[in-house]
Amino acid sequence: MGYLSGIYAIWLRELKRAVRDRGQLVGGVSRPLLWVLIMGIGLNPYFRGEVYGEVRFVVPFTYLQFIFPAVIALNMMYTSVQSAVSVIWDREFGFLREVLVSPMPRAAVLFGKILGGTTVALFHGILVLVLARFADVTFSPTAWLKGLGLMILLGFALTSLGVVIANRVRTFEGFGVFSNAVILPLYFTSSSIFPLDPSLTRAQTVVIYPDWLVFLIQANPITYAVDALRGVFLDFNQFHPLWGPLLLLAMCLVFFLAALRDFRRA
Amino acid sequence: MQTAPGPIVEIDSVTKRYVRTVALDDISFDVAENELFALLGPNGAGKTTLIEILCTIQRGDKGSVQIAGLDVAKQSREVRKRLGVVFQEPSLDTRLTVAENLDFHGRIYGVPASVRRRRKEELLELVELAGWRDRLVRTLSKGMQRRLEIARALIHDARLLVLDEPTVGLDAQTRSRIWEYLRTLQQEREITVLVTTHYIDEVEDCDRLCIIDQGRVLALDTPQGLKNRYGYHLLRLTPQDEEVRHELRHRFGEALAERGKDLVMAAPEAEALKLIEELGDKLKAFFVERPSLESVFLSLTGYEVRDEVAGARERLLEFGRRGGEHTQ
Repeated sequence: MGYLSGIYAIWLRELKRAVRDRGQLVGGVSRPLLWVLIMGIGLNPYFRGEVYGEVRFVVPFTYLQFIFPAVIALNMMYTSVQSAVSVIWDREFGFLREVLVSPMPRAAVLFGKILGGTTVALFHGILVLVLARFADVTFSPTAWLKGLGLMILLGFALTSLGVVIANRVRTFEGFGVFSNAVILPLYFTSSSIFPLDPSLTRAQTVVIYPDWLVFLIQANPITYAVDALRGVFLDFNQFHPLWGPLLLLAMCLVFFLAALRDFRRA
Repeated sequence: MQTAPGPIVEIDSVTKRYVRTVALDDISFDVAENELFALLGPNGAGKTTLIEILCTIQRGDKGSVQIAGLDVAKQSREVRKRLGVVFQEPSLDTRLTVAENLDFHGRIYGVPASVRRRRKEELLELVELAGWRDRLVRTLSKGMQRRLEIARALIHDARLLVLDEPTVGLDAQTRSRIWEYLRTLQQEREITVLVTTHYIDEVEDCDRLCIIDQGRVLALDTPQGLKNRYGYHLLRLTPQDEEVRHELRHRFGEALAERGKDLVMAAPEAEALKLIEELGDKLKAFFVERPSLESVFLSLTGYEVRDEVAGARERLLEFGRRGGEHTQ
């Protein structure tokens, strides 16, 4: 492994650039505040149903608690896709050439890049975790560690996915396109802001979501990532608890290999 | 390090075609160890394609290239370790500082930390950027960025430094500074420098010069050797009036190029002097230039190309006339 110092250099560069990018930091801090404190608190009272005159939560959690793990995923999605998009800048501004004529194999270059994106995303995920007590989410140190593990996998998968997309983009119109075309659709269809089955209590058995929406949610891999985070931080799963970690691993592998294939061709 | 005997670069009948055009047409030449070698040609001559093949970014359709005895296509990783490259387009990370860019390079080339630190200081000193160590690269001028790229290319053990048009878009003073650095590096560190340019006035001091055009090698020799072999005297004539101008144009046709009020043509010495004598009264002024590399280029590539080269030069002169900042 003579390429460790090279991977380290690429990783370090990603970190330095992220720290110097004020816009990214502002987003990383303001997004969780908006989603958790404003949206979470605001919708909290509506997240419950009435059963025989008795007010109950649809799922045995407050809305604030319910969306908290999803906001972690959201913040990480923004960050990792953003660092992946810097592949486009590197290509346009010529920096990519500096790396391509070096003795580093392309797989190592890509690995360093994605590891850097993962680290920054992990940091932004932790920014959300800091708000846990405001959302009434408490968890054990073991859950902490498990959560970090899941977040690393999620960051890695998302950054790889970002690189796959960036490699296919020829003209770059700015990050807004990505956020509207990739991040938000994935986020909203991942059962992040509402549970998949609205009829969790008897009072609401009459309410069902249309099939297409359920299909979208079930087909979206982020759904299972969010579910895994909920499993760890809230001890609440909508799917089998193994689905999340397994799918995250699979996503890491598939997206990384896809990114590598594109990167080798470039 | 063991030095391989023989040339450091061996290019053997390399051909590269793009969809319609032939970028390199059966090119062969060698570059000797520790030489300052210039590749001169107009834009679109195939210089960049050749450089990219040398740097293992592209592959030729035919032929082979060896660097330090290693095949560029088959042993590209080994070749890259011995190669320092400065591309035509800047390739620095402008959000990192000067020192961080150098460290990054050292790390991806696997240079040990102690060596990296020492080289970094040496090279920053050489390209006169030591005082800028901790500045973000985007705050540096274009010329300073170029100098930094040259320093960066030598952080690792490069035996061959390849530069693709390193002086394009820089002012005259910076251009000549860059050539000074290259000469110093070549002599002090005993490396080979291969540089492409389309500025004729820059290549006067290189060890050997290869002129290429339309993907073919037109000539290869020392600058003096080329002048002796291909050089022409250059005549610059200012006709007395329109009638004379017309007459001259009619008589020499294509061989004569217009430069504002003047007419320019190349001719062997005897013929040039005879012509001046003959025309005598019909001229307001005349000027005879001894063989220069410009005239070598002229006789090798024809007028069309000279036009472009002169164009670049004249733009520069024009810049000076307008009071360009660094003109003396």
